Amino acid sequence: MLPALLFICIVVPILAAGACFVVRAQAVRSATVLTTGALLTVGSVLLAAQGAFSFDPGTLGGLGWGTLISVLDFLLLAVILFYGFRLKSRLVQILALLQIAPLAWFELFALDHGAAVLPLHGDGLSLLMVLVISIVGSLICIFAIPYMKKHEEHLHLAKSRQPRFFFFLVLFLGAMNGLVLANNLLWLYFFFEVTTLCSFMLIGHDGTEEAVRNATRALWMNSLGGVAFVFGMILLYSRTGTLDLQALLMAGPLAGAVLLPVALICLAGFTKAAQVPFQSWLLGAMVAPTPVSALLHSSTMVKAGVYLVLRLSPLYAGSFLGTSIALFGGFSFLATAALALGQSNGKKILAYSTIGNLGLIIACAGLGTPAAMSAAILLILFHAVSKGLLFLCVGTIEQGIGSRDIEDMRGLYKVMPRTAIITVLGVATMLLPPFGVLLSKWLAIEAAAHNAPLVVMLALASALSVVYWGRWAGMLMSAPFSREVKPEPLSALTLRPLQILVGGAIVLALFIPWIYDSFALPMLGESVFSVHYGVLTTGAGAFAVYPLFFAVLLGALFAWWAARKSRFVPATSLYMGGANATGSLEEPAFVGPMNKPVKVAFGNYYLESVFGEGKLTRWVNIAALALLLLVMGGAL
Amino acid sequence: MSIIKDFINKSRIKSPWIVHFDCGSCNGCDIETLAVLTPLYDVERFGIINVGNPKHADVLLVTGTVNYRNQHVLKTIYEQMPHPKAVVAIGACGLSGGVFRDCYNVVGGVDRVIPVDVYVPGCPPKPEAIIDGVVLGLEKFAAKARGEDVSRFETRRPFDKKQADQGAVNVQTTATQEG
Amino acid sequence: MLAQYIMLVFVGLLIAPVAGGLIAGLDRRVTARVQSRFGPPLLQPFYDVAKLLGKESMIVNSWQVFCAYMYLLGAVLSVVLLFLQSDLLLLFFVQAIGALFLVFGAMSAPSPYSQVGAQRELMQILAYEPLLILVFVGIYLATGSFQISEILTHEQPLLFKLPLLFIVLGYALTIKLRKSPFDFSTSHHAHQELVKGVTTEFSGPYLAIIEVAHWYETVLVLGLVALFWSTSLWGMLALLLGTYFLEILIDNTMARLTWRWMLSYVWIVGLVLSVLNLSWLYAS
Repeated sequence: MLPALLFICIVVPILAAGACFVVRAQAVRSATVLTTGALLTVGSVLLAAQGAFSFDPGTLGGLGWGTLISVLDFLLLAVILFYGFRLKSRLVQILALLQIAPLAWFELFALDHGAAVLPLHGDGLSLLMVLVISIVGSLICIFAIPYMKKHEEHLHLAKSRQPRFFFFLVLFLGAMNGLVLANNLLWLYFFFEVTTLCSFMLIGHDGTEEAVRNATRALWMNSLGGVAFVFGMILLYSRTGTLDLQALLMAGPLAGAVLLPVALICLAGFTKAAQVPFQSWLLGAMVAPTPVSALLHSSTMVKAGVYLVLRLSPLYAGSFLGTSIALFGGFSFLATAALALGQSNGKKILAYSTIGNLGLIIACAGLGTPAAMSAAILLILFHAVSKGLLFLCVGTIEQGIGSRDIEDMRGLYKVMPRTAIITVLGVATMLLPPFGVLLSKWLAIEAAAHNAPLVVMLALASALSVVYWGRWAGMLMSAPFSREVKPEPLSALTLRPLQILVGGAIVLALFIPWIYDSFALPMLGESVFSVHYGVLTTGAGAFAVYPLFFAVLLGALFAWWAARKSRFVPATSLYMGGANATGSLEEPAFVGPMNKPVKVAFGNYYLESVFGEGKLTRWVNIAALALLLLVMGGAL
Repeated sequence: MSIIKDFINKSRIKSPWIVHFDCGSCNGCDIETLAVLTPLYDVERFGIINVGNPKHADVLLVTGTVNYRNQHVLKTIYEQMPHPKAVVAIGACGLSGGVFRDCYNVVGGVDRVIPVDVYVPGCPPKPEAIIDGVVLGLEKFAAKARGEDVSRFETRRPFDKKQADQGAVNVQTTATQEG
Repeated sequence: MLAQYIMLVFVGLLIAPVAGGLIAGLDRRVTARVQSRFGPPLLQPFYDVAKLLGKESMIVNSWQVFCAYMYLLGAVLSVVLLFLQSDLLLLFFVQAIGALFLVFGAMSAPSPYSQVGAQRELMQILAYEPLLILVFVGIYLATGSFQISEILTHEQPLLFKLPLLFIVLGYALTIKLRKSPFDFSTSHHAHQELVKGVTTEFSGPYLAIIEVAHWYETVLVLGLVALFWSTSLWGMLALLLGTYFLEILIDNTMARLTWRWMLSYVWIVGLVLSVLNLSWLYAS
């Protein structure tokens, strides 16, 4: 059973990706993606149901899997080097060579190939990640089918580039599953590099000048992470003599000089998770079609970065390195929340919020206490679902109204009622109790309460994020739901993923105790909560999940019912000092000079003089670099 | 239910929120109207608040002559007040157009545009007379309200505005100008 | 145990609005006295709300109805959590539901005044949220728990350990109670500037709902103040009365200032005071 499930989760997406690339027919591609999605969903659920496991796939017809991975690894780096030359990017070339040379030396001379290293291992964290990748990721791939069709119609391409697109999209899922299940650091590194290449290809997919530029930036920043990973791995091996992650974790917290390689691998995680000051590649990644952003932000890529940091957390827990990593993550949370406040571009808000939430996860990993780790694990799950949903919503909105600016989403309810409602619910799951993201934030704040600088950053960031989310949701609710509003037509493959994700984001809140028990608890080995009547109680506080969920649900249903009934009350005009030029609520206007109507215009406060990207980014980057130096210094 | 109904009806008289609209007065009446709101007269004793927003107001105080340009404004403000409501016209100009009634741009008194419940004469009327007018207006809209169903606002049909307007009778205030 | 919980919920649901209304009435009377007036009867807020409930439903947008109820829901739930002696952070997050839905309701109407009010309300949220979280963290550091039931078992009044954080709470309190100098998202006295801000387009019964929700919020924030002297009833009463009277004095002696000033002033002063108090807690 286990080999079959692992085959489904890791190899099937890779094969399906190949099929998408080779067979050019749209129908076959759709069927392949749908089938893979279904297989992955079932496979990941069954795999998760099996619980923790260790697995050695043995050999492939006499050839060791390890050898195969090593060969592929060099092939992959060669491809990256090739793109470095093709893009004429000196940086990519150097960084690729900096990986190839040490890795070749390491594999040929330093590494003891005879040593037994367990290749694959799954525990609560990786199984939860597999679920997120396989289910959320598949939904995003399915959403991409109609999206890409429309996208290409819009571009008037002579020849469809979809085969290439879906090749990398589906390959991504397999690589991510491999990454989170890998126990051998070399394997992990291989999958890590596959995700770098996939993201590079997907960001540059549209081939415009901007896309290529941003893709190149993503490539060199992630290659920088790759270099840090290679050096970290080699140093770690030279000091501990093993590449087996579980063996390392079993050995317990490291100290002294051994922390440096761990810090280097964490640095690789930071670049992948686009933490400040590496945030620019993820912001640039928005030039890609929206499903790519959704995938990068929710279930893959950036999650690989936080996974890595979280995975190594037991190694540096309690050390100065841990504290400085916590501060570094907390600062990312604060800085991106401030940057998001100055934005009206919907996708950028989502991007900054992603980086911020990952920062929070990293801060929790740095704290390393069981409560903080639980917060991080829960946040990975809930953030993936809500953020995947929101990106798909923005994609749908963009194809509907031709803009991703939140100012243009005023009155969206009138045009796209379904999407507007789903988006509002999505924002609510990111922001309000009793949903999972807020619960994780609550747990994170309680876990961080002992660390004054960190908790100040979390408090400020939390307030900033309430404002930028709140104002967006407010914009979406600014059209009356009169009887005339008709649901907009959405194809099933667009609507279903949205519905499943929004349903999941809401209902998952009810499963928090269960998710905690099944995934976080066995890994942490120490219970943070006790659960009575659906109330989670920690040593320091309590979160009434069930009572709150049902109270809010009942209240919201009542409010909705009352609002629906009020549709029949004729709407009155707005108060404008009595000088209304028209009674219209759609286009309110004052009576102006010469009895001419003067349109009412308003916009949100973005506080650009303080929180604008142009003003803040430089200072934020400088501060983050200083913190990064602190992290590296902490390791020495 | 009747206890709640009675309490709501009683509250209407106890909580008259006013909005003051100057239709083009010489400001004499406005000064007197605002004087009502000063601590000397302390109308908050009766629950009166100057809300400055017709959507929150129960009593509309209008001063000055209505002209062709601002009659629409007056009408809009009146329409934006939720029922039950009362209108108090203040001063000679508000009552009839006053000395300006024959001007080319003047429509006349407030009642040419919206139904008026209470007339407070004077040029300008004293603050006491204005308070008196407001109190009379309150009694009028309490009477109006008694005919209204206040059981549950969610299930209530929209108020029939026409009917309510026809019910308005012009009542001369008992307040006379002194001195 | 369960019966006791149900009792507490019941008390929270019913006593809180009565207390909130009475406090609002008392507030208006004391304010009148400060201004050498008599002021309205103590029950005036109840008359106001009853009158509003009896008025015609008049809406510009059905979202207003939805948002008014959600605001009430957030406020009620947070007060219930307060009476159940639940987690401080949790009840804070729950009250944020209410605060946000008030903003959504104001944003739903394309009226310039309610839009300005909504944006200013967001800035107020931005100003008080971090302060409240830091106050709660301070309480946690002093007592070892976020749970109100645990905090109440603390033997010494929290005020002694958290004097600076109490001042910080005072800022949040002034903003939350919409008192000068922070009354710029909605105010009875800013007609020319923003009419009635966030509540401009709410009228009749929906304004009544918002008013009642505000009573619940008043009880919530005063409940937080009470935590600072939870050891004796008289101490708690004295602290509440003193704080509230100070709020009224500040309200009557301060001009309404701008939100830009508020944001920078409240953040800087609030953060400095919080950090000082927190580091003092760490040191001791």
